[in-house]
Amino acid sequence: MRQPGLETAPRSQTRGATLFRRFATGNLKDSELAILLLAPSAVLLAGIMLYPMLNVFLMSLRVQNTLEPSIVTTSFENFARLFSDKRFLDDFTRTIWFGFLTVTGSFLVGLPLALLANLETGWRWLVRVALLLPWAMPQIITGTMFAWMFNSQYGVFNDILVRLGFERIYWLIRPDSATVALVLTVIWKTSSFVALILLGGLQSIPLELSEAAQVDGATGTQIFWRITLPLLRPAIAVALIFRTLSALQVFDIPYAFMSAGASQSLETLGVYVQKQTVEFTDFGYGSTVSLGLFALSLVITVIYLRFIRPEES
Amino acid sequence: MNTQVRDKTIWQRIMIVVALLVLVVNGVYPLVWIFLTSIKNELELTQVPITYFPQTPNFGNYAQVFQAQPFARFFLNSLIISSLSTILCVTIAAFAAYALARLRLRYRRTISIIIVAASMFPIVSLIVPLFQIMRGFGWLNTYWSLVIPYATFSLPISTLVLTAFFQGIPEDLESAAMIDGCSRFGALWRIIVPLAAPGVVTAAILAFVNSWNEFLLALTFNSAPDMKTVPVGVMLYQGEFTFPWPLISAAIIITIIPIVVLILVFQRRIISGLTAGGVKG
Repeated sequence: MRQPGLETAPRSQTRGATLFRRFATGNLKDSELAILLLAPSAVLLAGIMLYPMLNVFLMSLRVQNTLEPSIVTTSFENFARLFSDKRFLDDFTRTIWFGFLTVTGSFLVGLPLALLANLETGWRWLVRVALLLPWAMPQIITGTMFAWMFNSQYGVFNDILVRLGFERIYWLIRPDSATVALVLTVIWKTSSFVALILLGGLQSIPLELSEAAQVDGATGTQIFWRITLPLLRPAIAVALIFRTLSALQVFDIPYAFMSAGASQSLETLGVYVQKQTVEFTDFGYGSTVSLGLFALSLVITVIYLRFIRPEES
Repeated sequence: MNTQVRDKTIWQRIMIVVALLVLVVNGVYPLVWIFLTSIKNELELTQVPITYFPQTPNFGNYAQVFQAQPFARFFLNSLIISSLSTILCVTIAAFAAYALARLRLRYRRTISIIIVAASMFPIVSLIVPLFQIMRGFGWLNTYWSLVIPYATFSLPISTLVLTAFFQGIPEDLESAAMIDGCSRFGALWRIIVPLAAPGVVTAAILAFVNSWNEFLLALTFNSAPDMKTVPVGVMLYQGEFTFPWPLISAAIIITIIPIVVLILVFQRRIISGLTAGGVKG
């Protein structure tokens, strides 16, 4: 299609033909074809993401009367309520704290996993399956599975602890150990995603580089710190942004834990939004809470982009 | 860059084998444990110390899963919703990816940024307006309330994967076909589509897995008993204070069978798609 002869000939033949006929014969200009091809995506993204997002702003101004929920007024009162809502502020700091712990943890586990998966061994398919399983597990199922394993009486983790001579831990019942259990579960679920993205990065590093360094007498550790890790930067950036943003949205796993009787101190912003909307049916305030979550995601994206962009170019 | 194992010392090799074992065990142990739980009976489950392997394995819990709740219906719902949203998503993503990979576009960079931004969008913050939209269309408790959003949520990753695949197909092939008298659509159909089939499969698997696993929207939009999906259905076996874990475990195993099968069959394809889409995006 980049040949000049090909482009001009059909166009002159069909001059005056309708767009539809040119479409039917496959002789559209690039720009026309592009609009046609991109239109369905644009419609879906606008209808399911952009329009609802704009709607969240409007909805956040709807203030429900506390005594008579059908009475709705329009004001910024929900925002004032947000900043004095202890439950929201607690969930907000908790979401950031969980995000920090789980993202850090998923990198500490994910990087070694990626390095291992990158080895030439006879077990590659098994390694690939073991990496993909946690990534592909439904989050709600992951949460339920781990809630069972963290069960204080019959859970397998406590059984191992007792056999090793430790005290039994009331994992899900006490707030601090419930947090540890939640963080460990999220790390299990997400470190394989980090590993998969980093594996892609590792595979794009030319083998000659480390071979040349080896010839020059570099040790394995030196190669890792001086060659592999710096070249892995773009993949790390991608994984970091995706991980952080999904960590802030975490809903399924705390929901599963709390359904299985865990301490209510696991409530994240995602859970609070869902509760405001579905349980309390306060759509106005629910929207305001979602805006809090949205603002948090936006701020973190901007911070990341500021730090990552200059090095990339 | 693949690190070679053969020129390592024996100790390094042993350490690598141990590390690989840890990796594999880490990936599968929760599933193994859930499977073992699913073939125990309630009585055995409450023994202290707990048993690891069931004394009398019984698969009765699997039948019970379908009797206690309309789980077959949930499974069918999930299959229909995930398949429809996957077909919709991959078709639309293929159009967009072809435009991004092949056509001269003035705003290509902007469009790519929009796609990446959409893939990171906090979906949780959309449930309120999406709920109202679905209610407005009368779509609550229908397949559409989930098919359309799921297709949209998987659109960015599918587009990224497919764009990477289309870019890997030499453009000359297409030009040659067009010189030989193919129309552009003819060239697309006869040259690009067959060559891009692996990419389409990858994008489809990613979209299917995303849809199959989604919980929040399914919980919020489809509350009618006959319109629930499997992830929501799994949560129905527990009461406020009762947790029939063997039953729940059996339901979990049934839920993840399609996913495990997809992984076993397509593991290489999924990884190549994820790494290509992720790093280039």
